[in-house]
Amino acid sequence: MEPWHYDTAEDIEASLVERLRRFPREPDILVYSARLAAAAILRAWLKVYHRLRIVGRENLPREGSFVLVANHASHLDALSILAALPMGSLHRVFPAAAKDFFFVSPPRTAVAAVVVNALPFDRETNIRQSLNLCRQLLDNPGNVLLIFPEGTRSMTGRLGDFKPGVGLLLAGVDLPVVPCYVAGAFEAWPKAKRFPRPRRVRLLIGEPRRYAELKRGKEAALAICHDLRDAIVALGEHAGRR
Amino acid sequence: MSPEAALHSDVFLTYLAILLGLLAVAGGVIGVLGLLGKDVGHTWRAYRGWLVMIPLVLACVFLGRLATVAFFTLVAIVGFKEFARATGLYRDWWMTGVVYAGILGSGVFSAMTDPVLDRPGWYGMFVVWPAFVITLILLVPILRNRSEGQLQAIALALLGFLYIGWMFGHVGFLANSKDAYGYLFYLIFAVEVNDVAAFTFGRTFGRHPLRSNISPKKTWEGSLGALAVSMVLPWLLWKLSFPHFTPRELILSGLIVGVGGQLGDLAMSVIKRDLGIKDMGALIGGHGGILDRIDSLICVAPLWLNMARYFHEFY
Repeated sequence: MEPWHYDTAEDIEASLVERLRRFPREPDILVYSARLAAAAILRAWLKVYHRLRIVGRENLPREGSFVLVANHASHLDALSILAALPMGSLHRVFPAAAKDFFFVSPPRTAVAAVVVNALPFDRETNIRQSLNLCRQLLDNPGNVLLIFPEGTRSMTGRLGDFKPGVGLLLAGVDLPVVPCYVAGAFEAWPKAKRFPRPRRVRLLIGEPRRYAELKRGKEAALAICHDLRDAIVALGEHAGRR
Repeated sequence: MSPEAALHSDVFLTYLAILLGLLAVAGGVIGVLGLLGKDVGHTWRAYRGWLVMIPLVLACVFLGRLATVAFFTLVAIVGFKEFARATGLYRDWWMTGVVYAGILGSGVFSAMTDPVLDRPGWYGMFVVWPAFVITLILLVPILRNRSEGQLQAIALALLGFLYIGWMFGHVGFLANSKDAYGYLFYLIFAVEVNDVAAFTFGRTFGRHPLRSNISPKKTWEGSLGALAVSMVLPWLLWKLSFPHFTPRELILSGLIVGVGGQLGDLAMSVIKRDLGIKDMGALIGGHGGILDRIDSLICVAPLWLNMARYFHEFY
């Protein structure tokens, strides 16, 4: 008789918080259930309290991996974008989140890992490693990555400069890149405020772009940053006109 | 069981004093040893675990029947989760989902009122519930039209539900008894004392390995010492926990805890040894996973509950 093959979880010896800090995380049916419950509550909250409207949902690719790129002025940004995606796909959507902010204290780690399904992005010392992590993630068909190329929440609500990392990551990658603009999130919940205010939030989703033909390098990275920034600025102007 | 009843119950208050007293004394001893320059790092970590677990159990029992049943159901759920992660079953969401639902069901039947006999805890349904869950588990591969590797998944799910979910679930069911305080505290206290005694006797007198291929550190000396302590303990707690017991039930209690506790421990060691892991998890600092802590209770709980139920009025 052949012995059975067991497949013990790799993080079996890690404590609960360590397990949530690791990436990629092992699948966990209880975490997934909690995430779905949280998503349902957050969607209702965004709809009622912030009267969230989503424009351009048809621009989201229906299958396969893709990258979402957005402006960043509030915690509501990621939540609004997550609310635009189908519930069933949430466990495969990974917003890149600052490791030095979201993965420090146990409560923040729990929210980032369970509710948001965040990828811990080390923006201080290990940028290259973090970009590799993003790349590996996208190699797996069906995974979705959400990046805020400004690297931090804007203090003024205006779109800041893009870090070159996003360009380095996307050059030569044959995947759709979807620009998004979240309007009103800054007014509703700016960085300086503890709690969100009941302001209207709107999410605009632009047409996907592709950078497969670009050769990986500094020039391509800058070109991608420019192109994406322009696209997001255009969406922002569009939002302002409405 | 209710906060008010607990405050007026001599049994609850005495156990409260015993447990908090033991915690205080142990803390004092560790503190003195630390001051004397002894290495108490590991003992301190284990003590910190107790410092969380004992008040948690006390609080749930204080709050009443429903809180107690809910607490032990949650422990079983977390315990099964560790088992699933250790064996790889956690990748099979259907199987784990059915087992979680099964454990939840056991908890619900423990918590609800018997619709026929109108008393707390639907024991009849609680006892036949495994038949339903086994059927559901066997149904999973059929509904999914799969056969490869399914025998292993079925076997793991069955063991997970029956052993960790249902058998352990009997601890929570004790909360339905009219002697809930005495029964619950005796069972948990006696099993933990048995564990500690096995460890202490083994450390002090241990020479002959008990089961060398399963748990190399356990010895015959530790095991027999623990059995001796467990045989004595019911007599010491007789008037407090179960004054209606006759010597026959006291001897049976000692045997069930002394033998069953160590069997549970060894059974979990067999599982861990075969999987090639040291602990089932790292939830409780200094103790390992939750299963490493409750393993000795699993066999004891159903045997002891049914012994007590057979000889005496339970409700």
